[in-house]
Amino acid sequence: MVDNKSPIMERIAEANKAATTGIDATDIKNWIEIYIMGKAYKVPADLTILTAMEYAGYKFVRGVGCRQGFCGACATVFRKKGDYKLQTGMACQTRAEDGMYLVQIPFTPAEKADYDITKEPYEASVFIKYYPEVTRCVSCNTCTKACPQDLEVMDYVQDAIRGDFNALADISFDCIQCGLCAMRCPAEIVQYHVAQLGRRMFGRYGQGVPDHLRKRVKEINEGKFNQEMARITTCAIDELRKIYTEREKEPE
Amino acid sequence: MAELTYIEGYPEYMRKEIEKVAKTRDKRLDYTPPAMTMKQRDEVLRVHPDYAPGGKREISVGPNKGQNAPNEVADLLEAYPLVEKGEVDLSQIDYNPDILIIGGGLAGTSAALWAHDSGVAKENILLTNKLRHGDANSIMAEGGTQAADREVDSIVKHYIDTIGGGHFTNKPDVTRALVEDAPLIMKWLCELGAIFDREENGDLAEKLAGGLSVKRMHSCRDYTGLEEFRVLRDEFRTRGISYLEHYPAIELLTEGNRVTGAILWNIETGDYKIVKAKATIIATGGYGRLHIRGFPTTNHYGATFDGVVLAYRAGAKLRDIDAVQYHPTGAAYPIQIVGYLLTEKLRGSGAQPVNADGEAFVYPLEPRDVEAASIIRECYVRDKGITTPTGLRGVWLDTPLIEIKNGKGYIEKAFPGMIRMYKRYDIDIRKDPVLVFPTLHYQNGGVETDPSGRTNIEGLWVAGEVSGGVHGKNRLMGNSTLDCLVFGRRAGMSTADYVKSYSGEISVTIDHLNQYVQQLEEAGIKRTRRAPIILPDYRGKAALARMIDVF
Amino acid sequence: MTTTKPETTKTTATGNSKIPYYPGCTLKTTAKNFENSALAAARALGIELLEIPRWNCCGTVFSLADDDLIHHVASVRNFIRVQEMNDYGLVKNENRLVTLCAMCFNTLKSTNLRMKNNAEDLSKINDLMYREEDYQGKVEVIHFLEVLKALGFEKIHDRVKKPLKDLKVAPYYGCMILRPQEVGIDDPEDPTIQRDLLESLGADAVDTPYKRVCCGSYQTVKDKDIVAELAYDILTHAQKEGAEALATVCPLCAFNLDHRQKEVKAKHPDFTEIPVFYVTQLMAIAFGLDGECYGFDQNYVDPRPLLRKKSLIEQQQES
Repeated sequence: MVDNKSPIMERIAEANKAATTGIDATDIKNWIEIYIMGKAYKVPADLTILTAMEYAGYKFVRGVGCRQGFCGACATVFRKKGDYKLQTGMACQTRAEDGMYLVQIPFTPAEKADYDITKEPYEASVFIKYYPEVTRCVSCNTCTKACPQDLEVMDYVQDAIRGDFNALADISFDCIQCGLCAMRCPAEIVQYHVAQLGRRMFGRYGQGVPDHLRKRVKEINEGKFNQEMARITTCAIDELRKIYTEREKEPE
Repeated sequence: MAELTYIEGYPEYMRKEIEKVAKTRDKRLDYTPPAMTMKQRDEVLRVHPDYAPGGKREISVGPNKGQNAPNEVADLLEAYPLVEKGEVDLSQIDYNPDILIIGGGLAGTSAALWAHDSGVAKENILLTNKLRHGDANSIMAEGGTQAADREVDSIVKHYIDTIGGGHFTNKPDVTRALVEDAPLIMKWLCELGAIFDREENGDLAEKLAGGLSVKRMHSCRDYTGLEEFRVLRDEFRTRGISYLEHYPAIELLTEGNRVTGAILWNIETGDYKIVKAKATIIATGGYGRLHIRGFPTTNHYGATFDGVVLAYRAGAKLRDIDAVQYHPTGAAYPIQIVGYLLTEKLRGSGAQPVNADGEAFVYPLEPRDVEAASIIRECYVRDKGITTPTGLRGVWLDTPLIEIKNGKGYIEKAFPGMIRMYKRYDIDIRKDPVLVFPTLHYQNGGVETDPSGRTNIEGLWVAGEVSGGVHGKNRLMGNSTLDCLVFGRRAGMSTADYVKSYSGEISVTIDHLNQYVQQLEEAGIKRTRRAPIILPDYRGKAALARMIDVF
Repeated sequence: MTTTKPETTKTTATGNSKIPYYPGCTLKTTAKNFENSALAAARALGIELLEIPRWNCCGTVFSLADDDLIHHVASVRNFIRVQEMNDYGLVKNENRLVTLCAMCFNTLKSTNLRMKNNAEDLSKINDLMYREEDYQGKVEVIHFLEVLKALGFEKIHDRVKKPLKDLKVAPYYGCMILRPQEVGIDDPEDPTIQRDLLESLGADAVDTPYKRVCCGSYQTVKDKDIVAELAYDILTHAQKEGAEALATVCPLCAFNLDHRQKEVKAKHPDFTEIPVFYVTQLMAIAFGLDGECYGFDQNYVDPRPLLRKKSLIEQQQES
């Protein structure tokens, strides 16, 4: 029994149990019913789609990755109770709700073009060359509606068509490449790959390598710091400690 | 218990607590608690999970026998292999690359790119992944990458900050490599087209972080690792380098004292593949999913320590394996996101940790272990934490301060990921603080290497979180993505040199496993545990209790 | 949503009129010289063409199929953006949408007419785009030439600082601003709007019967030969009438008549190259505007030798 007098570490472990081990039904007060690929399961109320499926007994080897909304592995299609709309989201970021119907999308078989960005002109033509289907965009906005990151996907496709790399990079930056946009697109555009190409072009040509960075790399190659590094890497711990404690700090 | 009423994401009683934070905000605007002295640091570290009693034991077998490790780590090092003598057919070689890379995060992927750059043909490199290429802690790195590239900065300062943060336990030669290569790595990323935050004049925008003496943190909003990684993966795919997905390595293969490949396991169908390789790079990341001391984690689903387990059985030496990094600010509320990372960049941008009385109780940018211990002390020793409806305790991270200091609109621009994460639970981090508590974040130690990533075992290199030494016993923010990129590169180049000059024939055996099993048996360890565990298990207890294994 | 409400801008003290401006993709890529020269010329006349925020592709080609509503969505979305400009105060009671590109003009205006004349189509499209505010059917699609005409060619003449004296230019109209009649901005059989404009700039407008013959349009992608033959006819007939250059407002016509001269020359070795201007480039020259906006680098046949000969640009004038 863990109580207020128990060692701190035991109390912390007890409080975090739900996030570190499988959930024990006896700890749960509120329940909901969800339909995983059509089958009904009773699961605790405060879970994400991902953890609700795990509670139900699924051990994921597909459709799961970072579990925190960064990797785009757990794309999910779901429908809420009483709603006709098929919605999309990340299983790890979407709350499981009572009456939800859901299925996970384990893989996006989308084609990524091969290119060497060092050999491409910094122009809209690069998109037409590698992803000519972008011009098929009819501006239906289905991609935007599908995006679990709430990005304005259609807008960045339009930016690609007109060669506005800066705007494309800005709008598409938070893309986690889950592929839901491409799967919903009636024009068969692979938006997230288009964006990747555009961002790299912007990074390389729109931003480039700043002078201060170029300069520092040159200084290191020329051995500017060699002497000091040799000294600091061999000096005694006590001296290092002193240097560390007394070092100047740049103000915020 | 009565149903709770929620107001903008928080239950009513927590709303009252939030008012206390709002009330002291103006006062705290110009007040930052002073940084701790070395003595104060030592004192607070007593409640850090690494130092609090009961968490560790001696490892009873292998190269590091007799050294301390967290129980969960020792459990896996003392576990029996998944395959033993006679259980696998090694006569049929399925893949025969020059270089096998296990793990496709930042480290593994940059190793592949640099090996390719160094003249190894794309079909002679094989990168294998447990899940998808890029399902890794790398892409979850929010805050940034350190590199001393400003005029006022120097690689020497970077070195001193890193060593001091690591409590002077770092291995000097590898730490030197880390700081020396950092600017070169930044240049490489820029050339590949990674988009970093910039100043108006086009210079890289750089920030402070815990333990840094100079602004040196480069970020890509709060998706730094994601941006760096997806650029590398795009380049990797474009070059057509061979890779496998959903094929974790379950054991290394050896010939005498050298590593000659690995056994891969199809995680969906269960069959195995034999890879024979002249050089093997392990880049499998860390161990957050071991939930050391029962802590939640910021880590990826597959962060289960596999790489170290495999290397250790083959005779690789470990170091600093006793030191676990807990990130000071994991989410403590709501329950769905407990343990998720709230980047240190938030504190670097002005957010303060605040206790239940609305007091700023700690310098926001202490090294991570000190900061984490201070929060634990506030919650469990001084009883100035806030308790959530599910019984967790935490302190506030006063995020609204960020916009007061940096101007309106700053959070949306710099922390889109954080806004998004909390918005899903109706919390607006621009208006309200968030509740935080330390979360298991990083494997400080690991397999020991030389500056090229080479281990004490011939044919075996490691890169990234799986390695030990570069961070000593405590890693600074911004040095992990850097670690992956620097030592991925070095391992890629070093293995390329190695395989080009190696002409002898090699064979594959699992003799080292047989020897290890013998050691385990001699040490009297029962056959209750097997490793690597590949993935953690979060299935509901009720479902597990009634499962029948039929197929 | 990543979009933020645009800042309200005030009408300038001089009373410049601000009109929502729809560029289209070509003007941002291969016809930057058209956009730059037009925006500068408009500014010189006190007209501010205000780029529509978040504009998207016009739809490229107006779909004639009755049941192909989805291809009109793109156009309608742009009309909604114009409504939003009014809502956000970027413009005041301004329902005009002005285009430079003749293709965009034709597509947008055709769709707009269909929406105005067919309430059922409009409501279907509005339903499909339920996340947008409804299109109210009030936008008016106009071409920049119409803005100029409304302003009055005498006013344009007054603004001229460097008359295009002795420059013989054949206005070329193509199809998109003339046909079909309900979309066209001028007499489809005998258009005069470009002639009037050129004359107000001081140029000699040369008439040619080929001024409204199709340039070959998108055949240029599939079969360069068809276009080369058409271009040969159009260009040589203009030359026969004494033209030293052509002027157009359509980027596709410009491409086919200018860039395809390479293919024309290959098929007809006797052919002499002839510059093709966007009429706005000529406006910019006549107004004496900064050479930066001319953008001659994007012209295939370099018009600078001709302009130098006529003393319309400096001997060493770049771009």
